[in-house]
Amino acid sequence: MRTESFSRSGWPWKTYMAVLILGVAVILARLVYLQVIRGDYYARLAERNHMRVIERPAPRGVILDREGRVLADSRTVFMVSVVPAEFDSADVRLLGRLLHMDPAGVEAEVQRASMRSSYIPCAISTGLTVAEVAGLADNIHRLGGVILDAVPQRRYPMGRALCHLLGHVGPSQEGGMGGRIVGRAGLEAVFDTHLQGTPGYRREIVDAYGRVVEEFGDPGDKLAVPGDSLRLAVDASLQQLAVDRLEVSGRPGAMVVLDWRTGDALCLASWPTFPPNRLSSGITEAGWDSLAGSAEKPMLSRAWAASYPPASTFKLVTAAYLLERGLMGPDYLPDPCYGTYRLGGTEFGCWTSHGRLDVVDALAYSCNVFFYQAVQLGSVDGLAEFAGSMGLGRRVTQVLREERVGLVPDAADLDRMYGSDGWGRGNLLNLGVGQGELLVTPLQMAALAGRIAGGGSMPPVRVILSADTAISRPHVPAAGLSDSTMQVLVAGMRRAVTYSDGTLHRAMGDLPWAVYGKTGTAEVPGEPHSWTIGFLREPRPLAFAVVVENAGSGGAAAAEVAAGVLRRYLAADGFPAGGGS
Amino acid sequence: MRKRERPDLFLLLALAVVLAVGLLTLYSASRALESGSIFTRQLIWVGLGLGAMGAGYSLSGRMVDEMSTFAWAAVCLLLVLVIPLGSGPAGRWIVLGPVGIQPSELAKAVLILIVAKRLVEMRRRRTRSRELGVLLFALPLVALTWMQPDLGTAAFMCLLTLAMFMWAGFGPEWLFLLLSPLLAALSSMHVLLWAGFTLLLVVVLVRRKLGFGRWLLFLGGNTAIAAATPMIWNLLKPYQQQRLITFINPAADPQGAGWNIIQSQVAIGSGGVTGQGFLHGAQKGLAFLPARHTDFVFSVWAEETGLLGCLLLLAAYWVLIWRLVVTARRSVSPFSSLMVAGIAAFFMLHLFVNVGMALGLMPVTGLPLPLVSYGGSSMVTSLFLLGLALRAGVSWRVI
Repeated sequence: MRTESFSRSGWPWKTYMAVLILGVAVILARLVYLQVIRGDYYARLAERNHMRVIERPAPRGVILDREGRVLADSRTVFMVSVVPAEFDSADVRLLGRLLHMDPAGVEAEVQRASMRSSYIPCAISTGLTVAEVAGLADNIHRLGGVILDAVPQRRYPMGRALCHLLGHVGPSQEGGMGGRIVGRAGLEAVFDTHLQGTPGYRREIVDAYGRVVEEFGDPGDKLAVPGDSLRLAVDASLQQLAVDRLEVSGRPGAMVVLDWRTGDALCLASWPTFPPNRLSSGITEAGWDSLAGSAEKPMLSRAWAASYPPASTFKLVTAAYLLERGLMGPDYLPDPCYGTYRLGGTEFGCWTSHGRLDVVDALAYSCNVFFYQAVQLGSVDGLAEFAGSMGLGRRVTQVLREERVGLVPDAADLDRMYGSDGWGRGNLLNLGVGQGELLVTPLQMAALAGRIAGGGSMPPVRVILSADTAISRPHVPAAGLSDSTMQVLVAGMRRAVTYSDGTLHRAMGDLPWAVYGKTGTAEVPGEPHSWTIGFLREPRPLAFAVVVENAGSGGAAAAEVAAGVLRRYLAADGFPAGGGS
Repeated sequence: MRKRERPDLFLLLALAVVLAVGLLTLYSASRALESGSIFTRQLIWVGLGLGAMGAGYSLSGRMVDEMSTFAWAAVCLLLVLVIPLGSGPAGRWIVLGPVGIQPSELAKAVLILIVAKRLVEMRRRRTRSRELGVLLFALPLVALTWMQPDLGTAAFMCLLTLAMFMWAGFGPEWLFLLLSPLLAALSSMHVLLWAGFTLLLVVVLVRRKLGFGRWLLFLGGNTAIAAATPMIWNLLKPYQQQRLITFINPAADPQGAGWNIIQSQVAIGSGGVTGQGFLHGAQKGLAFLPARHTDFVFSVWAEETGLLGCLLLLAAYWVLIWRLVVTARRSVSPFSSLMVAGIAAFFMLHLFVNVGMALGLMPVTGLPLPLVSYGGSSMVTSLFLLGLALRAGVSWRVI
């Protein structure tokens, strides 16, 4: 057999060697490019292949009312977050399309997130629809630095009714849109650490482009621990009734109901309200602005964060002050009321001609002229000191944020305001009928009514039933009204209802329970505010205060709100409206 | 007959370096994977492979020549069996007890032997009209591999066949004709591509002054292939289509191939000149590459040892291939010469395709880097082929 080399001609092996040399040369060139020229760049990229720790937010604690009704809980929603450093801005359009968001909006969110941190995931959209979740899940591998997560979201089953009391949650102030969810107002804010829980986390490995390579299962993950629950003294159904009734009145206002035997705050209603669920699910800037900037101030709780002149409801304080300090006897009879009272050159008006009245009937008819004369038996400082001992001018609770203390001016205050000779007896007259510089909150006035019901003292007002040990109750000085004073006040308040021409007869005269009350018409620029405060002993120990802003004179608006709420609440509570008192 | 010479020491030295690099890299990769068994198993594969190399070294050229037809038939059978019996992530393994065999790896080795054998047969009969006889044996291997579908390996086998034909003295036009079925299949993607391909085919056929039978065969056969490809395409399952698309255009795969290439480049680039340090790289850039112990093993080495380590590995590989080409050139036996040239092409093409893939120069094909990548079939096959080549180098005067 003849031997024959295939490579005799030489070109095949030369081709082999040429290909070998050329191929290795290309590889070397590429290696030099990647490792020497671009080495630093790739080294930096490689560093970014890292473990990403994603926080699992803890569900916030449940908030319950006194009956165990759920006022706030959590539901699971889908959230999209972006790690700005890993997000390719070229993906903005795809992400926007999947989330049904404007690409520019996505870009703005990412921009905002990157101002906070380039490496911490930042929420850009929450509460995704099923379709959006599905679309995103299908494309998540293309979207570096985009995280799809199921997170708990605060939910308020009662909606608006308790919005001021509970407040709402939102991203923490320092965090911006993607920040940790914290309580931003109301009890959510005050009890934030209590409700917060402990966040867990999960870890995943991501590549240099932010795409998830693998997830750690257990034990790399740590589950979140839900926050502690909170039980409130509030009665959600009563609160709902009050908000609904205030809404019917059509004017901003508030209604506070306390159990004067226990001090429990059963109702802390304010209207208008805001939608807490909308705020917690991430409100737009425009939506926030329209809420916060609204002339009706829906974010403001009028029950404790707004103060009003108490007007005639304050006559209870004036009367109690004069009686308690022995400045006036129960049988005191001043000049009759002919509709006005003159002091120096100034005329002080009454709303009608009452004729001669004693202190009980002066309360029942709310006669100004009686009190103009009677209050001159006392002094500004004495009145202020006594009003303070009745709880006015100071906080009622420690747990309600932005609770106003109001104002009960003494002589020093008036000196400060007008100069030592800039005020005089006329100011005392005004203070005696609850006008002038006086300012009180509905919560303070409900507590005042409760104090009268309780014979001059009442347990401290209680907003929280559980977790209460953490909050020290404010010291409430016991006024300790004497029996004779009590008899006058109670009789006056009762006759306001029972007299056919009493101030509360029209609104409350047909209630089957013994209601004790006092109206007020607060003179303010524009239409006056309408006040009613009062209490019941039976069927339940309730003290209440209602204010309706700019509702006009006569006190009818607030009285109707109070009567309407009490009627429906007690009827629903098993006390038929037809029952006798 | 002369006294036996020692085997090629350059080649053995280069082999030792490449194997050492491979084991070091796998040790590091297995540490990062927290799967020490990968390293242990690879040690076993190297041991088995060295045994296979010894076996190959003990076989004379004539014995290999005579065995090759049986080996071819056996591997064809395995390739048929893997279609219904295949397991593993891509269905390319036949599991026999504790070990899985990857028939497509064996097919590459058998292809070298059978093509060498048929080319010699063809030469012996002093005619080039028998090139079809060669293709008759090569085609089942390629086609069966294609059908797995392992398009990367099938294309690799075409290139290997092409290289061996070139060694046998076939010019560019013949090489074109040899590749024409593959080109026909690819050209079916677009009518203009197909028209261009057919025009080129006609030109070559005219220039080679081939008879009517050949005209009919090449033109008709390739037209049939081009027409059938879309139909076969539609019969494929979506994941199979995806795999083919990815082979042709890696960027079309959003999650897999394109991403791996980027990861690989990050890893290689981050190695710099001196590397991240042994056992330190795999915690970083490449810790996230699923195929880091198989397809992208080069990237691990490049990240940990940098340009210097790459130079060492490339130099060793270069010496290995260079010595194989020299052996092939010196072989007086046509079969040995062709076989060793095939083996040289085997290592060279693997090097280019695998390292080129890691560097982002080549599409992702899933071809291993022989002697380095994890995998028993590849290791044993590669070392067996080197055994054959070493023997051919020693006994080049002995027929």
